[in-house]
Amino acid sequence: MDSAAAIATLQQNLRAAGYVAERSLAVTMLMMESIGRPLLVEGDPGVGKTEIAKALARVKNTRLIRLQCYEGLDTYNALYEWNYQRQLLAIKRAESAGPAALGDDELFCETYLLKRPLLEALTQPVAPVLLIDEIDRADAAFEAFLLELLSDYQISIPELGTITATTIPLVILTSNGTRDLSDALRRRCLYHFLDYPSFEKELAILRARLPQTPARLAGQIIEFAQSLRRYDLKKKPGIAETLDWTAALLGLGLSALDEAGPEQIRDSLATLLKTRDDILAIDNATIARLVAAAG
Amino acid sequence: MLEHSITAKIAGFVATIRENGFAVGIDESADALRIAETIGITTHTALREAWRGLLCARADEWHRFDDLFDSYWRKPNRQKRVESRASGGGAIEQDNAAGAEGGKAGPTLQHGAGDAGDAGASTASEGACAAAALETADFRTLTAPDQTRAIDAVIRNFARRLARLKTRRDHADKSGRRLDLRRTLRRSIGAGGTPSRLHFTAPRRIRPRLILLLDVSRSMSLYSFFYLRVARALAAELSDIHVFLYHTHLTHISGALSDPDPWRAQERLAMLSAGWAGGTRIGDCLAAFNRQQAARLVHSRTAIIIASDGYDTGEAGLLGRELRALAARARRIVWINPLKAVPGYAPTARGMAEALPHLDVFASGHDLASLDAALTALMAAL
Repeated sequence: MDSAAAIATLQQNLRAAGYVAERSLAVTMLMMESIGRPLLVEGDPGVGKTEIAKALARVKNTRLIRLQCYEGLDTYNALYEWNYQRQLLAIKRAESAGPAALGDDELFCETYLLKRPLLEALTQPVAPVLLIDEIDRADAAFEAFLLELLSDYQISIPELGTITATTIPLVILTSNGTRDLSDALRRRCLYHFLDYPSFEKELAILRARLPQTPARLAGQIIEFAQSLRRYDLKKKPGIAETLDWTAALLGLGLSALDEAGPEQIRDSLATLLKTRDDILAIDNATIARLVAAAG
Repeated sequence: MLEHSITAKIAGFVATIRENGFAVGIDESADALRIAETIGITTHTALREAWRGLLCARADEWHRFDDLFDSYWRKPNRQKRVESRASGGGAIEQDNAAGAEGGKAGPTLQHGAGDAGDAGASTASEGACAAAALETADFRTLTAPDQTRAIDAVIRNFARRLARLKTRRDHADKSGRRLDLRRTLRRSIGAGGTPSRLHFTAPRRIRPRLILLLDVSRSMSLYSFFYLRVARALAAELSDIHVFLYHTHLTHISGALSDPDPWRAQERLAMLSAGWAGGTRIGDCLAAFNRQQAARLVHSRTAIIIASDGYDTGEAGLLGRELRALAARARRIVWINPLKAVPGYAPTARGMAEALPHLDVFASGHDLASLDAALTALMAAL
C-alpha cells in the first residue's frame, strides 16, 4: 500500500468536507480502520474535537451517531430501553381482543425496543461513525462498561439475546479533561491531542468554512485571535469562537478590522470572550494595539 | 514480514516507552509492528505520527513522545542509550537540567510563616532542609488509649457521615421515591401483565476512597504523631483507605497501620520510618506517588488528604505540576496545614503557594476541632 498517497487523499477529502486536518491526525484516522481501535481526542474546548467525527462521517458518506455523556448516564440511556408505554398499550389492546392474542415473543421484539446510540451504532448496515462526546463527564462505571463494548462489539439483551455488531463502527471519543480517564480505556484507544491551530491552519479553516470573507479581513481576524490566545485569559477563544466572530464582523459589513473603531470591535468581541474577567482584561487600548499589530 | 533485528528494535522501543511511564501493553507492541509493516519503516515521519497516536494516552505523553522517539531512533543518542541495554529498558531522564541543579544547590531555608504557636515549637519553625535524617521515631505512644479516645469519636462520626454519600445513579430500593417502570413491568409478567406491585429506585450510596499523604519531616514533627493517630483511627473505621508517609521519600504504611496487634504495628512502623523527622521534598514525593501509585489507587471517587506545612526543598515548580496532575485524577484534594491556625499566617512558602490553585479545601486541622471542621468541609465538597 502506498501509505503517503493514502494519507494525502484522506487529508484532501477531509478538506473537501470542511475540515483541515494535520498529517498526524490523518495518519491516526487511517490507523483507526487498519487496526480497528477507537480514537480518543483530547484538547481545549473549541479546538474542533467534535468536528473530527462529523467530517469523518461526511468523508465516509455514512451516518454519524452521537452519544453525549453526562453524569449519571446509564445503560438504559446509552444502550437500549423497552418502550413500556407501547407495551402496556399492546397488552391492553390484546386483553380487549380476547385471550391468547399476544405472545411473549411479540411483546419483546424489535418493535418495542428503543435503540439508544450504542445499540443503534452496532445495528447499521453500513459502518457508521460513533461519536462518544465528553466521555469524561460520565462516571467511571460507565467507562468500564464502554471498554467492554468497544473490545467485543456485542451487547446482550436478556429478553432478546446477544446482538453482535453487523459492522464495526468507527468510534471517536472526546474528552475535555474534567476528570482523568482510566488507563485501561486510554490504552485501548488511539490518542490524538488537538492543540490550538497554527496561523496557517486556522486561516485555512476560516477559508474553508466562510469562503466569502475578504482575504485581508481573514488574515487580520486570525492574527487577532492568535495574539489574544497569548493573553492570560480564563477561557481562550477556540476555532469555533473565531468563526463566530468572523460571521459577526461580516454581518457588520466590514472588509478590514481597522475600518472599525475599538468600540465596534469590542461589541462584537462577545463572540470571542466568554467570561466577565476576560472582557474586563481586554480594554480598548489593548484592542487598538491588537488591531494595529494585526495589520 | 519484517526482519528479526528490526522487530527486536521496535519491541525495544515500546519497552523504552513503557519504562518512561507510558501505559502500553503487549497489544500495543503487536499493533506497533503491524503499523510498521503497513506504513513501511523507511518513512520515518509517518511512522512517528502513527506510533504517537498508538502509544500515547494523555497530553503530557503526547508532548514527550518526540524526544523519546528521537533519542531512541536518531543515531548519536541511539549509540549512547541503546547499545548498553539490550532490551532498551530504563527510564530516560526528562529534560529538566536547570531545575535539577536548583535541587542540588542545597537546602533553601524558607522562613516566612511564624512560629507554630506552641512553646516547644522551635523545631517546627526551622523550615525544610533537604537532608534525610537517619533516626527513627518512637512509636510507643501511638496506641495509648487516653490519646486516641477523642480522635476515635470524631473519626467514627466522620465515617458514619461518609457512608451516607449518594450518587446520581439509582439502584432498586423498596423505600425509594422514583418509580422503576422497567422492573415493575418485568415483574408484572407473572401476574399476567397487571403491574400490581410497584418497584422503586433510590440513589445509590457510595463510599469514596481516601488517600492520606502525611508529611513527617522535621518541620512537621509537632503534628506527625497526631496525624498518625488520626490515620490509624480512620484505617480502623474505613475499609478503602491508603496511608502514605513522606519526607524525602514516600512510604506506604497502610498495612503496618491497620495491624490489629498494637505492638507489631509499632515495630513495623519503626522499621518503615527511616528518615522520620528529616528533610522534605514534597514535589518529588508527589511525583513518585503519581508515577507508582496513582494509576492503581486514584480513581474518580478518590479524596486525597495531604497534611503538610508546605515547606519544600525540591525543585521549584515540580510540586505545582505534580499536584495539578493529581488533581485531574482525583475527585477532591484537601490540604491540611497546621500553620494556617497561626494568626497572620499567609501561604507564602513556595511549596504552599504553588499548591494553592489546585486545592479544593485548604484547612488548618492543627487540633481535633479544626480537623473535624476540615473533614466536614471535605464531606461537603465530595
